Amino acid sequence: MASDLLSIARSGVKAARIQLDLTAQNIANASSQGYVRRSATTEEVMTPGYLTHNRDVSLSGVRIAGITRNADAFRQGEVRRTGADTARADAEVAGLEDIQAALSDSGVYDAITGFESTLQQLSQDPTNTPLRAAVIASAQTMTNSFNIAAAQLDAVAAGQQSGAADGVMQVNTLSGELAKVNGRLSRLADAQTDRAGLLDQRDLLLQKLSGYADIATSFATDGSVSVTLGGTSGAPLVTGLVAQTLTATTAADGTISYAVGGGTVALAAGSLSGQQQVLARLATVHGDLDRLADSVVRTVNTAQAQGTALNGSPGAPLLSGTTAGAMGMATTSGAAIATAGAGAAPNSRDISNLIAMRGALTAANPAGAMDTLLYQSSSAVKASTTTRAALKTISDAASTALSAQSGVDLDTEAINLTRYQQAFQASGRVMQVAGTLFDAILAIR
Amino acid sequence: MPSVTTSTSAFYERSALDLTALRVQMGEVQKQIATGNRLANDADDPLAASRLRNLSRADTLAKVDAASAGRATADLNLTDSAMTEMINTLQRARELANQAATGTLSNQQRVSIGNELGQLRGNLVALANARDSAGNALFGGDAPGDAYTLDAATGAVSYVGIGSAGTLSLGDGQSVKRSLTGPEFLSFSSGGSATDVFAAMKAITDAISAGGTAAQSAAGAALTTLDDAITSVSTGQTVVGARLSWIDLNTQRQTTMSEARANEQQVLGTTDIATAYTHLQELATVLQASQASFTKISGLSLFALMS
Repeated sequence: MASDLLSIARSGVKAARIQLDLTAQNIANASSQGYVRRSATTEEVMTPGYLTHNRDVSLSGVRIAGITRNADAFRQGEVRRTGADTARADAEVAGLEDIQAALSDSGVYDAITGFESTLQQLSQDPTNTPLRAAVIASAQTMTNSFNIAAAQLDAVAAGQQSGAADGVMQVNTLSGELAKVNGRLSRLADAQTDRAGLLDQRDLLLQKLSGYADIATSFATDGSVSVTLGGTSGAPLVTGLVAQTLTATTAADGTISYAVGGGTVALAAGSLSGQQQVLARLATVHGDLDRLADSVVRTVNTAQAQGTALNGSPGAPLLSGTTAGAMGMATTSGAAIATAGAGAAPNSRDISNLIAMRGALTAANPAGAMDTLLYQSSSAVKASTTTRAALKTISDAASTALSAQSGVDLDTEAINLTRYQQAFQASGRVMQVAGTLFDAILAIR
Repeated sequence: MPSVTTSTSAFYERSALDLTALRVQMGEVQKQIATGNRLANDADDPLAASRLRNLSRADTLAKVDAASAGRATADLNLTDSAMTEMINTLQRARELANQAATGTLSNQQRVSIGNELGQLRGNLVALANARDSAGNALFGGDAPGDAYTLDAATGAVSYVGIGSAGTLSLGDGQSVKRSLTGPEFLSFSSGGSATDVFAAMKAITDAISAGGTAAQSAAGAALTTLDDAITSVSTGQTVVGARLSWIDLNTQRQTTMSEARANEQQVLGTTDIATAYTHLQELATVLQASQASFTKISGLSLFALMS
């Protein structure tokens, strides 16, 4: 007989031991990030019979065929894809909220209304010095608020740019690590526990990478991965052991563009893409604000030039600057406000030019333009918040599906612990019986 | 057979997220109740936020218009009282002219009537140079100084005002002139020729002071002139009265509109305390239930039952 009770029991004990180790490993790593639940596949061992004894019973126990990682590549791909979309939505919402706060907290709308109301008030008594001083004060408030809004927008831009720079650095670090993991994987033999750990590391790096940009992956048979940035038609980032460098370039208007190994790449998802979108929108908003400031300055100064100041001289410019950041007062003297029409006498109480100035401001409607700007930016925040909620639901569902398959459930592990313990004890008992049988044979005299 | 399982770490992460989200929601409702604003952020309801901005802008501009209406009312009241005084003065002058027209006067009477007429003319000049609520000439249009000047040598009074009376805006495109310029009511035509009150008074004073039979007939003719003068000033007063009621109408309209604005602001922007509090109670119940169920489920572990 080619079978051996003792060696069969010994193989059973060894297999149960390995499975117990794996269960303990799963329990210990239940909260490790990126850990995929391991299980061992066992298969029966068959030894062939020898010459002229081919029909003999040939049972040889059990052996561990390999350690499987319970992770579906499709589900992992889904988690990466939806995670990239959610990361982009997160970056967009945060940036758009900052833009909206910059516009509304600076109080530009109220300042414009204040300026217009003090001009209106001046028509009650145009030569009155306190009323003129009130107009100058409210004009100063208005220019200050424009300056603050512009400075805030610049701060938001700087924040987004430094966030993008940090993201680019992270992408380069991660792709470097991936290249190293690829190298190690191509050198390892099959079915070792080390290999499972490396594959976990590879998947974790890919998941982190997808938080920054949208990637397309293709896996080789030895487990190494080639990563393309920007979808399947994008630029290769990691090929084998070589990792390309991602760079970001800032244009003059604050927008950024990305390039890999010299060629530009268009990112459609990930936080880097979100920051790029925010900066593009910021450039538009800043341009609109600058145009608004310029129109206010030009309207007021044009109306000033057509009138006479308090001392009888022709009206001089009241405001200066062409952009929101550079807007300021050309004069701080209340006597410079040209309320009277052209060619009027000094100290005239004629308010024809004041009426013309108010009419020109009403026609230019800076308050309405500011209201439109505020409405557009708050609608953008609301829309992107809704989009983000939807994308988050989708990515949560994908994560749940993945963790249902690859996550460690302590109840299942507890059951497995009991099961393999029983198997170990049973195989041990078999060994005891084998020993007893052998003693029985030896006792024959 | 595919089985649906959940990993332990996913359960804890989800529970943490759910409980935190509930707390955040409760915090938002509590802030709504505490501040009274339904909109913590513009982005919560962009359309309502835009409407509220426009309403508050309209409120600010309406305040200025209300102040302007007050100024205009004050100035027009001053105009009205100055004109009343002028009419009284002219009535007295008419009495004196009447006296001079009936019968012969002695020298003394002539002199005293002439003096009093001169005084009355001086009063009229002072009234014509009355000041408005800002201290500027009431009947002088845009003039920086007086409306009428008296030439000490010739005794002639001439108008030195500029332009027309100032216009004050009452809001919504409505406006009102705050006064009248002197010539608008002090210059009139009598017996086919244009004259003004001061010239007429001087002529009468001179004629009566000269004496003789011409004085009596001049005094008789002066009665008609003075009647025309009184009519002119009264007409001016009627115009002022009409303007005052125009301001009243506008003020009423502005009050109605500001009430409508306040109503809309309340509907759009303030928290309905009852609804918010009910919502808060509901969230608190849900939070309690979530916390209890989390405690129960997380307490179940197979390891605890295995000896």
